This record gives sequence, structure tokens and C-alpha cells, in this order.
Amino acid sequence: MTDGPLIVQSDKTLLLEVDHDAAAECRKAIAPFAELERAPEHVHTYRITPLALWNARAAGHDAEQVIDALISFARYPVPHALLVDIADTMGRYGRLRLEKHPTYGLVLSSSDRAVLEEVLRAKKLQAMFGPRVDDDSVAVHPSERGTLKQALLKLGWPAEDLAGYVDGEAHPISLVEDGWGLRGYQREAADSFWHGGSGVVVLPCGAGKTIVGAAAMAHASATTLILVTNTVSAHQWKQELLRRTSLTEEEIGEYTGTKKQIRPVTIATYQVMTTRRKGVYTHLELFDARDWGLVLYDEVHLLPAPIFRMTADLQTRRRLGLTATLVREDGREGDVFSLIGPKRYDAPWKEMEAQGWIAPADCVEVRVTLTESERLAYATAEQEDRYRFCATTPTKSSVVQALVDRHRGEQTLVIGQYIDQLDELGERLDAPVIKGETKIKERERLFDAFRSGEISVLIVSKVANFSIDLPEAAVAVQVSGTFGSRQEEAQRLGRVLRPKSSGKGARFYSVVARDTLDQDYAAHRQRFLAEQGYAYRIVDADAVLADEEI
Amino acid sequence: MGPDPDYRCGVSTETYADWLRARDDDELRALFACRPELITPVPSDITALSSRASAPSALSRALDRLDRLALSVFEALLVLPSPTTYEDLAAAVGADVRGALGRLRSLALVWGDDDELRVAPGARGAVPHPAGLGPPAKEAFASYPSDRMTALLDDLGLGSVQAICERIGPLVADAGPEARAALDRLAWGPPIGKVEGARRPVTLASANSPIERLLARGLLAATDDRTVTLPREVGLFLRGGRVFRDLETAPPPLGGTVRERKLVDSTAGGQAFTTVRTIEDLLERWGVDPPGVLRSGGLGIRDLRATATHLDLPEWTTALLVEVAYAAGLLARSGDYDGSGMGSRGGDAVWLPTPAYDLWRLHDTERRWVTVAGAWLRMDRVPGLAGERDERDRLINALSDEAIRASAPQVRRATLEALADAPAGTAPATEGVYANLAWHQPRRGGVLRERLVGWTLREAEALGVTGFRALAQHTRVLLAGGDAEAALRAVLPTPVDHVMIQADLTAVAPGPLVADLARELALAADVESTGGATVYRFTPESVRRALDAGRGASELIELLTRHSTTALPQPLSYLIEDVARRHGRLRVGIASAYVRSDDPAVLEEIMADRRAEQLRLHRLAPTVLASRVPRSELLDGLRVLGYAPVAESPEGSVVITRLDSQRADTAGHGAYEPAHQSVFGSGPDGSVITAAVRALRAGDEAARVAAPNGSPPRSPAAAMVQRLREATDRGGRVWIGYLDQQGQASSRIIEPARIEGGFLTAYDATRAAVHRFALHRITGVADVDGAG
Repeated sequence: MTDGPLIVQSDKTLLLEVDHDAAAECRKAIAPFAELERAPEHVHTYRITPLALWNARAAGHDAEQVIDALISFARYPVPHALLVDIADTMGRYGRLRLEKHPTYGLVLSSSDRAVLEEVLRAKKLQAMFGPRVDDDSVAVHPSERGTLKQALLKLGWPAEDLAGYVDGEAHPISLVEDGWGLRGYQREAADSFWHGGSGVVVLPCGAGKTIVGAAAMAHASATTLILVTNTVSAHQWKQELLRRTSLTEEEIGEYTGTKKQIRPVTIATYQVMTTRRKGVYTHLELFDARDWGLVLYDEVHLLPAPIFRMTADLQTRRRLGLTATLVREDGREGDVFSLIGPKRYDAPWKEMEAQGWIAPADCVEVRVTLTESERLAYATAEQEDRYRFCATTPTKSSVVQALVDRHRGEQTLVIGQYIDQLDELGERLDAPVIKGETKIKERERLFDAFRSGEISVLIVSKVANFSIDLPEAAVAVQVSGTFGSRQEEAQRLGRVLRPKSSGKGARFYSVVARDTLDQDYAAHRQRFLAEQGYAYRIVDADAVLADEEI
Repeated sequence: MGPDPDYRCGVSTETYADWLRARDDDELRALFACRPELITPVPSDITALSSRASAPSALSRALDRLDRLALSVFEALLVLPSPTTYEDLAAAVGADVRGALGRLRSLALVWGDDDELRVAPGARGAVPHPAGLGPPAKEAFASYPSDRMTALLDDLGLGSVQAICERIGPLVADAGPEARAALDRLAWGPPIGKVEGARRPVTLASANSPIERLLARGLLAATDDRTVTLPREVGLFLRGGRVFRDLETAPPPLGGTVRERKLVDSTAGGQAFTTVRTIEDLLERWGVDPPGVLRSGGLGIRDLRATATHLDLPEWTTALLVEVAYAAGLLARSGDYDGSGMGSRGGDAVWLPTPAYDLWRLHDTERRWVTVAGAWLRMDRVPGLAGERDERDRLINALSDEAIRASAPQVRRATLEALADAPAGTAPATEGVYANLAWHQPRRGGVLRERLVGWTLREAEALGVTGFRALAQHTRVLLAGGDAEAALRAVLPTPVDHVMIQADLTAVAPGPLVADLARELALAADVESTGGATVYRFTPESVRRALDAGRGASELIELLTRHSTTALPQPLSYLIEDVARRHGRLRVGIASAYVRSDDPAVLEEIMADRRAEQLRLHRLAPTVLASRVPRSELLDGLRVLGYAPVAESPEGSVVITRLDSQRADTAGHGAYEPAHQSVFGSGPDGSVITAAVRALRAGDEAARVAAPNGSPPRSPAAAMVQRLREATDRGGRVWIGYLDQQGQASSRIIEPARIEGGFLTAYDATRAAVHRFALHRITGVADVDGAG
């Protein structure tokens, strides 16, 4: 028995003891084929899934390497069945290949005739195939390239897409590194994407995903379509691209609710793309408006279903997905794999933090006790109002006030779900509130003011959840959230994770009402962060109000 | 097939019996150990033994036990003139036959000294075509009518069949090359061919086809209208005098790869650990949520699938674990099971863990594994059949009788022994094992055996009997009957007494936990994943469970702090304290019915009434009484007391029953019963054999030796009764062979109580009950202890 850092579990999870001497080496060995699921302080959990194994295959690893890594680092004997399963699963990738054919255009070919026969007999696939080319290959309708890959993945025979990409309309783009430089991991991420052709880069919030995107665009030097979550985010992409690349104002178009510009680099929102009029997607032509050389997806884990369908038709174009996590709450990881591409780069949060690329964060849960009358009111409230009731309890306001006072002089965000509560806090703290009805112009003015330090406290609703770059937010106070969304919690923490010029750590407060739904939801939300290694401390509201050291 | 009279020489059963009688006790013991069917029941004397040993079925079973070499030696003896010398035999086989001959003698298939070797009587009938050779020419033509025979010989200008045998060479040459080719096809066996109109008369002149030319020359004999047979002499001529073409004198090597022993042992050890744990997981679940018993007595495919999904295992592995648990006595049918229930379910019967399971669970992993692995080795059940269809296209369910194959334990053992014989660490190819087994037991081949071998190898890997397909050391010890527990203990991970607790409310035990800690943790946290380590997750529910079981918050925190190698994360202590604070704020009790009244005085009155005691009333509030008797009973009781209660709608009633883990209630009829003394199994134990030898000798003595003083010779039966009377007087135990009313033979150890009216009344120690035995059905008696 060796004394390795890794324990292989029967449910295909791997436990890595992080304080072990060989932990770093082991992590490097298993990262290509195992998805990091949880990274709390002592033992990290990785999971071996078929997708993870296929990702590894796509990255050029073979079963031998995987098995060798497991056996050499495992503390206890690795179940033989697991090893067999790994070899089987990995052997399934690439048995089928999508290739270019001089006469038929696109063919599906296989080195394993039995697999090809099995696939040809699958009912759902029949319509996607053209005539049989020879014993080992069959023609595929080029329009079905994406849907076929999706369907094959579901059958357990993921196809390797070797049919290549169109170059698209060339357009010179280069990085302008004045006063900043591409970080090592950003370069690595962009390079491995480019060599892989298409795929997803996984980087934590604050690690500069936009810059990876810009670097990828520089690689392609072609017209680019960028899909982002919302308008504010679109503006930020534009700002970043102007700052980091040779692109000029005239070369970048915005395709949003208000503007419909189509330029060599066009930034569109998911929302506008998925707008329907009389059941028809009215903005589909954008995909064909130019001969795009690169399609870039921001926040892939939020990609809505219609965009997947549209993406299925874009398989001849290079695609880059950017995200902080491959975990999708709707479980459509397989579609990301088959339609956008395999994972091309990945770095865990904690490691980035240790390297100093993102700010260390201190997470504190502040427990507020409801008054007797509030408790009674809570207990008798209607089921659907209960969360709102406990999340917006007036007792929280004084605690928020105390927290903001405590950090006076530091850039502070107060984040919440309920507008009434935010408005009330705005009055109490004498701070501006950004909510859904706030005009884009006004939002940007406020953000700029906050960025420049003109205002130091900003209250935001969930409109600020995604993709807003607030470099100097050092403190965030969360007063209420979207029930138990883990996603949201991660995004909100991301607001304070960008490195501060002062080099100081960030503070993330979550104000929670004790013994209520609020506390349950908070526990659920925090689980994700605890699993990422951000342990919460719990303090009592009284300690905050009494101005004790916390 | 009746006993075949030996036509070659005058060997009578008499002399074979004499040879048997001359065997010493050790030799007889060895014989019975190898051929246990000879002593079930024990023959009355040696003469009876000799006729039983030469019965076709007995011979066939004995031959089944021979390996390729011994079988070839035996067949060579059948071909050679009888009696034969050792030198002739060795020359005919072309190999050293000393060992094989010894084995044949110990099985009493061959008898006599080296210069006069003979096969057991009846043996010729047991092997129709020894070494693939046909019958001697004289016999082959025996079915020809005499006129036809005369015509054949006249046509050839020969005087007798013997003359044909002397002229085989010229006759074959004369028949032509096509005929020679036809003969060559039959030369190495089987020596019979199918031809239309084989009996039609042919002469040298009228013969057209090659076959007709051969028939006309007496080189083939027509056995019936459609069959021709190659006479032995012709066969030997075609073989150039050799009996065997390419005799394998040693088993073929298994081939495959050789793996590092340490890796093999530790992998198998890890799998053994997983097996024990999975069975526990499975039975725990079934204890709470038992699957039904099918009418066929098995487990429904849907239940099997659900369990497979729960365990995250393939269906075949699940079927294996279920079957093994059943065979090990850890799982049994419980409830009304008579195989006649309506629908697909066999009544209300369910599959439940047995009380034996609770005992098993208390043991160490290694002991539990040895129990399970032993049951697997011995069981005649074949888990691999589950989910397949039988010859009538009906689904074979796990745990049903259709999944029984009598040869399974023997093939399983033979497969593992083949692995054990190979160099340590050998991971053979399945084909290598087939070939090896085919050498060891050439007469028992077939599709079923190959499938059993395949299943055995697959199951061995799943159970931790092998690791990376090579036999583990602990299995080697188990097969040899040694201390397998110690061998397994050496490769199992050592238990740890600490965990790592993390802020995401999980605790990781980096190895198997010591029992105490494992129990406490399982109480306070949910198991999230198992394997080399165990991951526990603390949830409000799990902490509540610990509090419900009487643990205090501070006690829990203290326990965790003591066993955690890391600082207790603050969220966990908050969680425990939060739950503890809320714990017990509501109280819940058990009640079956309640009494409600707006007038507290009436309730007061009922509580004061002594007769109301049996209603088990309990006052919850001034206007509410709770009762633990059912509502109908409570209503009746109150009416008896002179009240006029009305029943309330069911919405108001509180019936709380605890979901309890159940156990199979019957020990016996729903549990796995191993097949009766399988002749393929490990055989009877030594004491039974020794007793049998003693009984046989005694019976033989009685049959042959006249009593002194001129009194009439005592029949064996009389001798037996005498023995029984002595035992009755002495109060000792004796061993008897007994044929029951169905003619089923059995061996029992009894304490005779009295003999009267042709019946023996005795305490049957084998079955732990008093029985009456018909004296005429008792086949033999021997002392169990003391001299016979």
C-alpha cells in the first residue's frame, strides 16, 4: 500500500488530500480527466464523468495515462471495475469522426464498423445521414453537423469533429500591451483554445476572461461575433476591447435592444438573440450577417436553450466559450461539450488566488435575530411570502448600516433582491440605488462614479449579478438573494474578487435572519463557496452592532 | 445400457470383488472419498460394492473425474488385449503412465498387478469408442446375417473375418485413393459414418462409389441401413499402429500475463472490502424496504434493476451479491410463501435479511468476506443466469430455482484451482482456462461449462477473489482450507480513528474507521460516498438524528473535536447548536386514537374509571385524551363503560407508526438450502467414510464367515440388528446408511433408543429429531466412535 494523496471512491469521485506532499503533483495528473467538484480546505473532491474523460481524450490524453495517474497516486487499491470502465469510456471517443470529404462534403467515418452500424440504425439519427460512402463512412448533411454531434453524445459515442472550420472574413486584430501584459495562464488558455479549434475556457470571476477572449480574437484575426448576457456586459466588453486591442470604436458594433449595429466585431446579448415575434426568432440573420471567423460565448453556463439550437448550425465556425464553471443548473453540460466544444483550459479559484491573480476574500455570515413580534408575523405569513418577509426584516437595516460604517472609506456594494428593501437602505445610507428600471446611461454614470471613488457606497439589485466590472469594490454586503441560487452567490462574491490596487483582501458579508428560511437558503448558497474553499465565519449581529472585532 | 459381459476373457465380477476385498482400509477410504456415490447407501458387503462399482452409471461418474491423461490410459487399456502388462500399456500410450495408472487403480477403474492389468467389469460398455476406435472386426460384422457374411467372404476369396484383418494393407490399396481418403476421415474417430443404403448388397464387381468399394472389401461394416463402422483393426492400421495422435500428457499452461503479486493482493483486498460493504448496504436497504418474492420464488427483474441503480452497479454484479447473500444465509424469504400466490407475486412473502445477518455484521471485514466467499464457492446457484431466458423462453429470475446448476460449485472450484496451479500472479485469458479445464475433465465439457468458467472469472474479480484477474493470496489460502482471514487482514487497509472535518460540513475518513467512531458518525452525519475513504455530510436532519438517539450537542462537538485532525469549522458547531436549540421544541408521541370532549369533566370521569385502564388512555390536554388502542377498540371500550361516543372522520386521527427495519421470521423454509451431498462437491467428510469402511468390512465378514459352534450363518441384516441392539444397550451413537421411502439414500448418525416390530426408534443427530427407521431400509451400520 502506498501512502498516496488520492483516495478513489466507488462512486467515481476522487478525494485529494491537499496538505499531502504529493498533492500538487497529483492535482496536475488528474486535472485533465476529472472535474473538480468541491475544493474545501482539506480534501478536494474530483469526479470522473464520461464528459470529463472525453474532454481528456480530446486534449490528447489516453486511458493508459489516466489509469497510470490513478494507480500511482492512489492510497488504496483502485477498483478494477473502475479502471475497466475508464478504458471503455475513453475508448468510445473518436471511434466516430466527422471529416471533410471531396465529393460528399461532410462524412461520418469510423474505424469500428460495428459502431457505425449501431449508429446508422438509431432511429433518431436516420434523417441526418445522406448516402453511404463506403463500408466505413456515411455522408452527413452539413446542416446536421451540430445536432448529429449532440445525438451521438447522447448515444455514448461522441464524435471527434475533424471537419475543420472556415476562416471567415479576415480582419486584423492584435493585442496592444501598453502598461499591462497578458498573464501566463491567459496566454495558455488562449493558445490551447486555438490549438483545439473550438471549446471552453474555465476561469474564475476576476481572472480576466475578457482578455482571454481578446487574445483568442487576436489569434483568429477575423470578424468576431460576441454573445454576452446583457447590455451592461456588452458595454464592458466594448470598453475592454478598445483598451486591450487594436480595435477602434468604428470596428465594434453593438447589437442590443436599442442599437442594431453590425460591424467586424459585433457584440450581441442573449436576450436580443432570443427575442421572438410571433414565434419566430427575429434576429437570427445576425448569425449570417457576416462571414464570422470566431463566435465567442460569454458565461457559457448561462447560455439559453435557443442559443444552443442556433449554435448547432454554426459548427463550421470557431467557437470559444468562457465561463467560471462548467456546472449548469439545468444539467446541459453535454450540449456545451458537443456544440461549443470540449474544455480547453481550467484553473481552480484557490490556485489563482494563491498566485495573487484574484483577491483573497473573507466571507462572513452575520446572523440577525428576529424580534418576538417579527417571529410571530413570520410564522403566520403565507408560504410564498415567507422568504421575502424574513429576508427583508427591518432589523437587517441597522446591521447593514453598522457594517457600512465599519468599512467607511472602502468601496462598498450592498446587494439585494427586493427593491423596497434596497430603496429603504438607499435612504438610510444616503447612497444611490441601481435597479431594473435604472436607465443604462444612469447605471454607467453611477458605475463610473463608483469606480473613480466619487461615491463609495452603491446599492444594487440583481441586475448587477453578471459581468459588471467594479474593480475597486472591496466590501460587499448581501442582504437578500434569489432563494438558494448557488450560481448567484458565486457571481456576487466574484464582484469583490478582482485584485485591489491596495493589495488588501476583500470582505463579503451575508446578512441572514436566524432560524428562518433565509438561513436555510443562505446555507444552500454558501455550500458552493465553501466547496470552493471559501469558508464562512458566522458572527452574531450583536457583535457587529457593538462594534466588536469580527 | 446394462452391464456388458466381458467378451474377451473370463474375468468375472468375482475376481474383481476379490481384488477389492484385498484393498486395505486406507485404500478403501481413498476410493470412497473419490467416489462417494459408492457408499450412498453403504453396500452390505464387498460383493455388493463390486457390482455397484461396475454399474454403468457409477463407471460413467468415475470416468468423469479423470483428466485427459488418465482417461487416455484407460481407453488404451480398453483397446489392448486384456489382461495387459504395464510395458505394453506404456508403449501403446507412448508416455509415462505410472501416475495415471495409480489414479485409475485408486478409483478401482483398473485392477490387477502390473503384469496383469484389467479394467473394471462393465467398463467396455461405458466407453463406446475408446480412443476413437470402432469395435473389433469380429464384433463389427456380428450383425451381418450369416448368408451375407458368407457372400462377402466368398467374394473376397477369404475364409474368415480374421483373414480380412490380416490382409488390410492390400485391401486398402486395392480400394483406390478415393476410398483411402474416405477411410482417413474416420481413422482418428469417431469411427462411424452416415451413408444412405449402407445395407444394400455389394460385390467387388458391382461396387461403384468409394464407400461401396470399402464395404465390398470388408474394410467398413454396415451397422444398420444408414451407418457404417470402421472396424478397430482397420482403424489401427490407418493410424500406423498408434493409439493416440498427439496426446497431451500435462495440462496446457494458462497463458495470459503475470502481474505483480502485491498489486494483485491489494486490489483483491480492496474489492473484498467493497463487496462486504456493498452487501451490507444492500441488506440494510432491503431490511427497511424489502422486495417481494415472485411466484417462482425469485426476485423480480424490476426489483433487481432498482437495487442495481441504488448500488450504482451493473445488474449482473447486483444479482451476484444478492445470490451470494442468500447462499451465505444472510438473506431469506419471509412471510407466506407457498409458490401459489395470485399474480406474479408469491403471496405476501418478501426478501429480508436474516438474524444471521445481524451476527455477520458484527464480525470484522475479513471474517465477513470469508463467509461470503465460502458461500459463493460452494453454492449451486448461478447468478450469471439471472436475466437470461430458459429453453422455454421464460425469464430466469435471480434467487429462483431456475438459476441452479448442479455442476456450478465443481466448475467454480476447478477454475480457481487452475488459477492456483499457475505461477502466482498469473492473469489468464479465458480461453486458457477453458483449455486447462478441458484437459483436467475432458468428459465434462460443453457450453454450460464454458459459460460457468466465464462467469466464475468475472464474479471472482467482482468479489475480490482475484485481483486484476489473478488469484489473490487470501483465496489461495481459502482454497487450501487455511486461515484466509489472516491472509486477507494483511492486505486490508488498517482502520483509522480520525476524520478531517471541513467548512462545507463534510467529514472525510481517509480509510476504514474503527467501529465505534464509524457508528457515531453514521448517526450524526449522512454517508455521501464510500470506497477507500468515507465522506460524511452533516445536515440538520442528520444532527437531529444524533440528538434523537440521545447525544447532546456538547457531547457531539466534543467527539468530533477529539477525532478531527483539523480544527472544527465554525459553521459545523453553529449547525449543531442551532439544531440542538430547536430540538425538542415540539414533542411527538404515539397514539392510535383520541377522545375529545368539550366537557373536561367527562374526560376526568373516564380517567378516574378503573375499567378504562385497558384503553391505555393518556391525558394530553384538559379536553383531549390519547389512547394507544385502535379507534374501533376504543369506541367499543367506551360504550362498554356506558358512554355514547361518536367516531370522528379519519382526517382528525393520528396514527403514527415507526418504519422499522424488519428481519426474516422463518429460519429454514425461506432460507437457502445447499444441495444434498453433491457428488461433484467436496464429498463426505472423513468420519463418515471411515464409518462406511467399517460397516462394509463388518457386513462382508458376516456374509462370508460362518459363525462358530455350527449356528446358522448370520445374514448381514441380522448382524446389523445385532449391532443396533448393542448400541441401544450401550447408549452409544452409531452411523447408519438409510434408504427412505422414495429410495433416496442418506447417511445419518443416530442414537438408537429401542427396536421393535421391525422398526428402530432413534434420535437422529444429523437432523436433530427422533425418527422411526424401518430396519429393512437400513443398509449398513458402523460405530461412530470407538472400534468397529
